[in-house]
Amino acid sequence: MTTAPAIPPAAPAGDVLCEERGVWQQFPQPNGRPLRVLEDINLAIHADEVVALLGPSGCGKSTILRILAGLIRPTRGEVFYHGQPLRGLNPGVAIVFQSFALFPWMNVAENVGMVLKAARLPRDEIKHRAEQVIGMVGLAGFEQAYPRELSGGMKQRVGIARALAVDPEILLLDEPFSQVDALTAESLRAEVIDIWAANDRNPSSILMVSHDIKEVAYMADRILILSANPGRVRTVLANAQPRPRDYRSPEFLRLVDQLHELITGHEMPDVDEAAQRVAATLEPLPHVSTSEIIGLLEYLDARGGREDIFRIASDTNSEFGRLISIVEAAEMLDFVDTPKRMVVLDVRGTEFVKVGPEDRKAIWRAQLLQLHIFRLVSDALKRQPNHKLDRDFVLETIVMHMPHENYERVFHTLVGWARFGNLFAYDDDSGMITLPLGS
Amino acid sequence: MIHMNQRTWGHARALLSRSRRVGWVDLLIVAGVAGLVFGVAGLAREWTGELRPSIQIDLDDVWTLPRYTLLSLSRGLFAYALSLVFTLVYGYWAAKDHAAEKLLVPLLDILQSIPVLSFLPGVVLALVAVFPRSNVGLELAAILMIFTGQAWNMTFSFYHSVRSVPTDQSEVAAVYRLNWWQRLKWLELPFSTMGLVWNSMMSMAGGWFFLMITESFQLGAKDFRLPGIGSYMTVAVEQGRADAMLWAVLAMVLMIVALDQLLWRPVVVWAQKFRVEEGGNEPAMTSWFLDVLDASRLLSAIRRWAVRFQTRRAAVRVRRPARPALAVPPGWLAAGSRAAFLVLLAALAFGAWKLFGLLHGVAAAEWLATLGMAVWTLGRVLLATALGTLWAVPAGLAIGLSPRRARVLQPLVQIAASFPAPMLFPLVIALFTAAAIPLGLGSVLLMLLGTQWYILFNVVAGAMAIPADLREAARSYAVVGWQRLWALYLPAVFPYLVTGWVTAAGGAWNASIVAEFVTFRGQVLTTPGLGAQISAASNRLDFPLLAASTLVMSAVVVLFNRTVWRRCYALAERRFSLNK
Repeated sequence: MTTAPAIPPAAPAGDVLCEERGVWQQFPQPNGRPLRVLEDINLAIHADEVVALLGPSGCGKSTILRILAGLIRPTRGEVFYHGQPLRGLNPGVAIVFQSFALFPWMNVAENVGMVLKAARLPRDEIKHRAEQVIGMVGLAGFEQAYPRELSGGMKQRVGIARALAVDPEILLLDEPFSQVDALTAESLRAEVIDIWAANDRNPSSILMVSHDIKEVAYMADRILILSANPGRVRTVLANAQPRPRDYRSPEFLRLVDQLHELITGHEMPDVDEAAQRVAATLEPLPHVSTSEIIGLLEYLDARGGREDIFRIASDTNSEFGRLISIVEAAEMLDFVDTPKRMVVLDVRGTEFVKVGPEDRKAIWRAQLLQLHIFRLVSDALKRQPNHKLDRDFVLETIVMHMPHENYERVFHTLVGWARFGNLFAYDDDSGMITLPLGS
Repeated sequence: MIHMNQRTWGHARALLSRSRRVGWVDLLIVAGVAGLVFGVAGLAREWTGELRPSIQIDLDDVWTLPRYTLLSLSRGLFAYALSLVFTLVYGYWAAKDHAAEKLLVPLLDILQSIPVLSFLPGVVLALVAVFPRSNVGLELAAILMIFTGQAWNMTFSFYHSVRSVPTDQSEVAAVYRLNWWQRLKWLELPFSTMGLVWNSMMSMAGGWFFLMITESFQLGAKDFRLPGIGSYMTVAVEQGRADAMLWAVLAMVLMIVALDQLLWRPVVVWAQKFRVEEGGNEPAMTSWFLDVLDASRLLSAIRRWAVRFQTRRAAVRVRRPARPALAVPPGWLAAGSRAAFLVLLAALAFGAWKLFGLLHGVAAAEWLATLGMAVWTLGRVLLATALGTLWAVPAGLAIGLSPRRARVLQPLVQIAASFPAPMLFPLVIALFTAAAIPLGLGSVLLMLLGTQWYILFNVVAGAMAIPADLREAARSYAVVGWQRLWALYLPAVFPYLVTGWVTAAGGAWNASIVAEFVTFRGQVLTTPGLGAQISAASNRLDFPLLAASTLVMSAVVVLFNRTVWRRCYALAERRFSLNK
């Protein structure tokens, strides 16, 4: 590991409220090497801005947020709050959770009042403040309702009210609207921005985590685009559009387009992928199922063999980060090509879609054997006198060659792909990999 | 006009009848409270009364049995309160202090495997020595005995709940700076309530199991006897009075039903508030007792008054600054935990040293014999579990697969499981002697009597939980008979069956103590086994042998749990879980 120079990113106006400098994060894996989640993250939150972290799933967005909140101590690097190194919890933040994280045995008023009691406010103040924030998020009249009686959008309103109650300088939003229906999410975004925009009160700034490009373009002043495995900041993009923003204005559409380009430029397997292949010799398998890959091929085939990746995402209603992993997998198997933002069905992909199930398996098997890891396991299996291979052998191989991957998941994906191609069989009870039946 | 008149009349009549019912409920409540006060006063008199190691019990006095039932009940409730306090302290400590956890959890596992009777002589002699003049010592000893039958599984349940609070909610507690007390009060306790309530019901039932022993026992030449159902039963058995035995059984059943309806049902209804899963499809439970209480005018008046009092107090307090929360500095808490841990360690070391001293006197041959006894008892435990499975699985499936039957029979099964089987032993032994069945075999049936219900009601619960679509699939593809049993029912109930097995086997080990060593019509029947050996050693006050056999039993039980049952659990989770 090289020491990362702590260079603060290009700073917009306003004082720095909170900052992560040269943050690395690794999590220990059971009996394996540490899993690297973040690599050299530098991030500063200034007064009066909305910052968004955008990236595919598994890029450690939520971990960055939790490090800033002081919930997780980074393996390396420091967090500063108003210039002071942070010890323990960050006193100036409140989090809105993706899963709402309300206490089901408390009603709306109690859920909000609880954090005020914890903050040791006097009783009348608690009552006043709770009423105020509940009104602010449009929940007046729902004080006595229990979370189970509320819809997802309403629950998140409670989550937001709870966060606002403690008057945080920085509001942290962790994929706040991904479990809320689309229309409600739309209005919540606008409401959160309205609350933030009032200059005379907190929250001064917002840090949000999202995988929704439009959401980020609508809300953020500054967008950090992350890449996955391990999470790194690839690009920082300023968004100076005036508010209120219009989803259909040319500037807005241009920004969305630019974000699309940036993400595909980083994430679609191009030059970068080849470099990684040399370094690791074993390809990290994207954790997607065979049916997702085949689904993508069928989709492309039904649309003349090519489509814009963002169109695919909105057509199939899939999360963007997930779709990128699927495209990556299809590309590894040589089924598709990805010139810029387009996903194009390759010769072999076209053939695969056309033939029957038996031939599909044959093609799939041939494509798997192009990949080092499958060839390695397959050869080892053939070398064994009884044609049996212990699961631990494969796990160890994975750990050796991809130290920073979650080896259990890699193994799971490996077995899934191999089973589909009838390359080898696996019995979970005995933990043995064997040649497929009838071969 | 007529119409309106009728309506007014209707209203008036409804009002009248309601108020009449209210008065009736209120009267009952007042009577209940008065009875409670009277009972507590009586209890205090009983406790502080002069020490009577052995009371004379008159089986023919009509008032003896109701009074004794209440005395036994009060012991059970005291023991439960003690168990609850122990659970909260021990469970919380184990969940929070990671160093202490490594000792506390295995220790709990061992405590769970020690039969009540092994504690008995030491505890009784010690407490009687502390309170030589009053009944307090004996009563406390009885309560402690019941406690040892109640506490452990509650503690495990609470410990696991605290450890498995969802990450998100735990982060909420951290980000919003709840102190440890607020975190316990608002998050950890509510989250553990459901599990704690169900385990409390189980524990209360388990606590009755040794009622006959805890209320009347022999230590050396001394005969100890406390007033209660258990000792009443003992005397009835001694005198061979079948009518008195039946009355005692009836009183016990009534007590269990009353506890279930008046205490546990309302508690379960209340605890539903703490269910974590949302949008539950299952209908909410109700309690007739709570409904009746709701109709009380007296209670609602008290509630209104309490609310008003609180708001008034709050209004007074407003002007004062916030009450400093129970904010023990975290450093203090950790230091306290460390100190308590050291004390515990010292106590354990001292205990181990004492134990070693005791065991020093046990000859090698005796150890060997004890191991042989353990094999006998292990065989009986397994046989009893197998026999129980053999009948309880088909019966449980038959009950659980029919919602109608389940509704009627499930509560009955639960009551049967709560009934202390040893109270039925004399009746069964009478049958054995009539049919000339030796106790070696008979003891298996005695164990079965106590433990089969655990298997049964777990299978019933498992059968009720089989998803409707799986059953429909089996029906639509005409999977019938044995195939349906092997392909659907058995795999689906397997995880529940494992829970049943573990509970049943644990119960059977405990039961071996009373099943292998039976006093019947003044004579002692025994059969070789570890349980019989513990009983005999306890009776003779043979402490070295008692310690040795307890150690062996504890070791066998823990080893068996670690190897066989744990593997069964793992298998159930990996292969047969329906939640994935």
